[in-house]
Amino acid sequence: MRTIPAERIWLWSATALALVAWAVLPNFLGRGAIDILVFTGLYTIAGLGVSFLLGQCGIVSLAQSGFYGIGAYAAAYGTTTLGLPIPVCILAGILFSALIAAAVGTPVLRLSGHFLALATLALAIIAHVLFLEFEWLTGGTLGIGGIPRITLFGFSFSTPYRFYYLVWPCAFALILFYTLLLNSRTGIALRAMRDAPSAAAVAGIQVASLKVRIFVLSAAVGAFAGSLFAHYVSFISVDSFAIDRAIGFLLIAVLGGVRSIPGTIAGAFFVTAAPNYLSRLGDIHPILFAVALVVAVIFLPGGFGGLIASFWSRLATRGRASSKSRS
Amino acid sequence: MTLTLLVQSIIAGLTNGFVYGLIGLGIAVVFRGSRIINAMQGDVALIGAVVAYIIGVSLGLPMFAGFLLGIVAGGLTGFLVDRFMIRPTAKRRGTEDSFLLVTLGGAFAVSATVLLYFGRDSYILPGVGGNTMVDVFDAAMRVHAIWLIAISTFVVFGLRWFYTKTTVGQAMLAASIDPEGATTLGINVSWMRALTFGLGGLVGGLAGVLVAPLINIQYEMGLLLTLKGFAAAILGGLTSPFGAIFGGVLLGLVEALAVVTISSGYKDVVSMTLLIAIMIVRPQGLFGSRGRLGG
Amino acid sequence: MKTVLDVRAVSKSFGGLHVLKGVSFSVESGSVTGLIGPNGAGKSTLFNIISGFLAPTRGDIVFLGDVATGHDIGTRSRAGLQRTFQTPQVFRDLTVRENLVAGCHMRGRTGVLEAFFGLPAVRREMKQAQQLADLAIARFELEAWRDVPAGELPAGRQRLVELARAVVVEPKLLCLDEPSSGLSADEVRVLMATLRRLNREGMTILLVSHDMELMEVTDTIHALCFGEIIASGSLEVMRASPRVREAYLGT
Repeated sequence: MRTIPAERIWLWSATALALVAWAVLPNFLGRGAIDILVFTGLYTIAGLGVSFLLGQCGIVSLAQSGFYGIGAYAAAYGTTTLGLPIPVCILAGILFSALIAAAVGTPVLRLSGHFLALATLALAIIAHVLFLEFEWLTGGTLGIGGIPRITLFGFSFSTPYRFYYLVWPCAFALILFYTLLLNSRTGIALRAMRDAPSAAAVAGIQVASLKVRIFVLSAAVGAFAGSLFAHYVSFISVDSFAIDRAIGFLLIAVLGGVRSIPGTIAGAFFVTAAPNYLSRLGDIHPILFAVALVVAVIFLPGGFGGLIASFWSRLATRGRASSKSRS
Repeated sequence: MTLTLLVQSIIAGLTNGFVYGLIGLGIAVVFRGSRIINAMQGDVALIGAVVAYIIGVSLGLPMFAGFLLGIVAGGLTGFLVDRFMIRPTAKRRGTEDSFLLVTLGGAFAVSATVLLYFGRDSYILPGVGGNTMVDVFDAAMRVHAIWLIAISTFVVFGLRWFYTKTTVGQAMLAASIDPEGATTLGINVSWMRALTFGLGGLVGGLAGVLVAPLINIQYEMGLLLTLKGFAAAILGGLTSPFGAIFGGVLLGLVEALAVVTISSGYKDVVSMTLLIAIMIVRPQGLFGSRGRLGG
Repeated sequence: MKTVLDVRAVSKSFGGLHVLKGVSFSVESGSVTGLIGPNGAGKSTLFNIISGFLAPTRGDIVFLGDVATGHDIGTRSRAGLQRTFQTPQVFRDLTVRENLVAGCHMRGRTGVLEAFFGLPAVRREMKQAQQLADLAIARFELEAWRDVPAGELPAGRQRLVELARAVVVEPKLLCLDEPSSGLSADEVRVLMATLRRLNREGMTILLVSHDMELMEVTDTIHALCFGEIIASGSLEVMRASPRVREAYLGT
């Protein structure tokens, strides 16, 4: 008889338990805490793109705030000024973001290392300035208000409690998609490209175009998160898409651990919850936050994901040992 | 466009250009001696400016003491950055990216600290020669700007002398170009890197105190300054002090032109686009040939 | 016999340095062709020009009757040209099996989006690639290392993995760059047996090396010296040629 490996049993039961916990969690929390969890979900989605780029392609992208902004403004402008249906606006934001990413990424991704990182930072600054200057579209610092709530079959996701059940299934789906991508031939090609670029080229892997595609995907995912954000808060201004947001997204990837896709959730939770709780200590919280980035880069190269992974493998080996002793 | 307006915008571009050049100079010094891009360079300048402000304005001590301590504070910051951020990262075999991320984190820490103690307001430092203006073809130029240009030029020549004529300067270069070879010659490589960051910090502090009378000191100014300084440095080939100043002036003039022809709002878009374009098209700088980045 | 590769008067200069001076030779289908020469003869440069890593200053590379001079590396590999590297370039973090799956990347048609949404075609292609990989693993007797990251293998095994990865797509021309460097005498013997077997199965091979022992597997050899072919013929001809001996031994 074929026995199911112990790790698999552990994994399934842990996943089932986590899902039940996820489903009932908001019933035990106040509005503020649920709000944090909603933002965790939004940032998980945007952070996934950054994390995958960093972990699988070695691309440090600080430009995600720009794509997040494009998605948000597409949702805001499309629904309020143009009066278009919500799905159309979300899709338009994703497509527009992807187009920009393809156009910008093709030349910029020829860079590597710190040149590339600084180039994406420059892109984030350009995006922020353009959001500020295109007042007819973005409302500048005054922003755009009155963005409608997302409604599905007559059910309006109007409160944090309700939105929680919209944003998280999206986040879980994207985690699944990114995992599928990682384990596909394309994922193997990406890792091959990271290990030995010349040999990858000989194997017929089109290194440059593959990088651009992953960048475009990341931008699309960022825009999707931005649209959800706009519909959730219903008022957006240029302050939401500044450089600190770009850093925040990168921090999610770094803290979450670039080799671990679910680790992104942990990174996103830290980035949303930490400022909130630290702010009780007074205005010192941005400093602590920056120090966290420094400490994480130096001491936690695997991020929270790396920590979880090593804890998990310890748990799994213990589980295997105990099941062996039983048989 | 009148001639006066043109001259005025050229003067503004030139002055800003030397500001970017001075930041770029610090980036070039650090990169030359360590192969690391210090994303804190603009924030080191911020520290220099803030210290000068505290000493010279808040405490009412002589402005000269403020300038001097501002520069020293910059040097000290550079030294500490190496000790507490670069060295631990190097020990864990950090990649190019992790060095950049660590210094980027440091930049945010500085910016957040200034925000905590100074708030969102901006401050301005009295310049050398106060607010006196000189007439250049009917356009006005501040005496301080002339001082800025003179001192920057002096620093460039000083650095050239330091790297070619002094033993320490040459040891610093050797330590970065060939760390193993330098070690066999008895050069303490990690000490040389500390000195490099200290020197870069001094230049950054100097940039800060010289810039503060011209542009407002504000907690957010560091990062944009760093990027523009980086653009200046890379235009000049990333390792050349002279090139950094030249690149800065070029960037400043292009920005000034953009302000006159497009609108002042798009100034940063123009300079950031220029930065990206240079990195792609001429990463070796305007004077360098390909593959000379290491030299 | 059909000509697989035709090198037509290829010259290459770096600045004022003329590394190759009008080199011409061809590789016939089903043959094992050797390229020998002392260090600095221009072997690696020629090899890089053939595989598309460098562009020639003058001259053309004709692959299977098509001028390939302007084609990039990927286009050439899809046309059936595979190469290995002087220092073996395995994908270190990937297992041996994944290395071979990556090796047949060009066989796949699905892209990023299909993989992202996990379409059935993606899974089907993965299965096919894994089958090809497992065949190559059996062929090169790598079963014991199938799920081991390639970077953890000893150098000799890494060469074998690299070779298997190049062969997995059944190329029309297999170019090997110093395949015996860093191998023990035993490992070289295994390598030679493998090459003979591949050739018997119909593989056309171009071999660059300064190792004369390895040249025993070849049919034809071209000797390169200071950017020019100074002699061509069988191994016996090479050994008898005074010019080759002069170039090699300096006498």
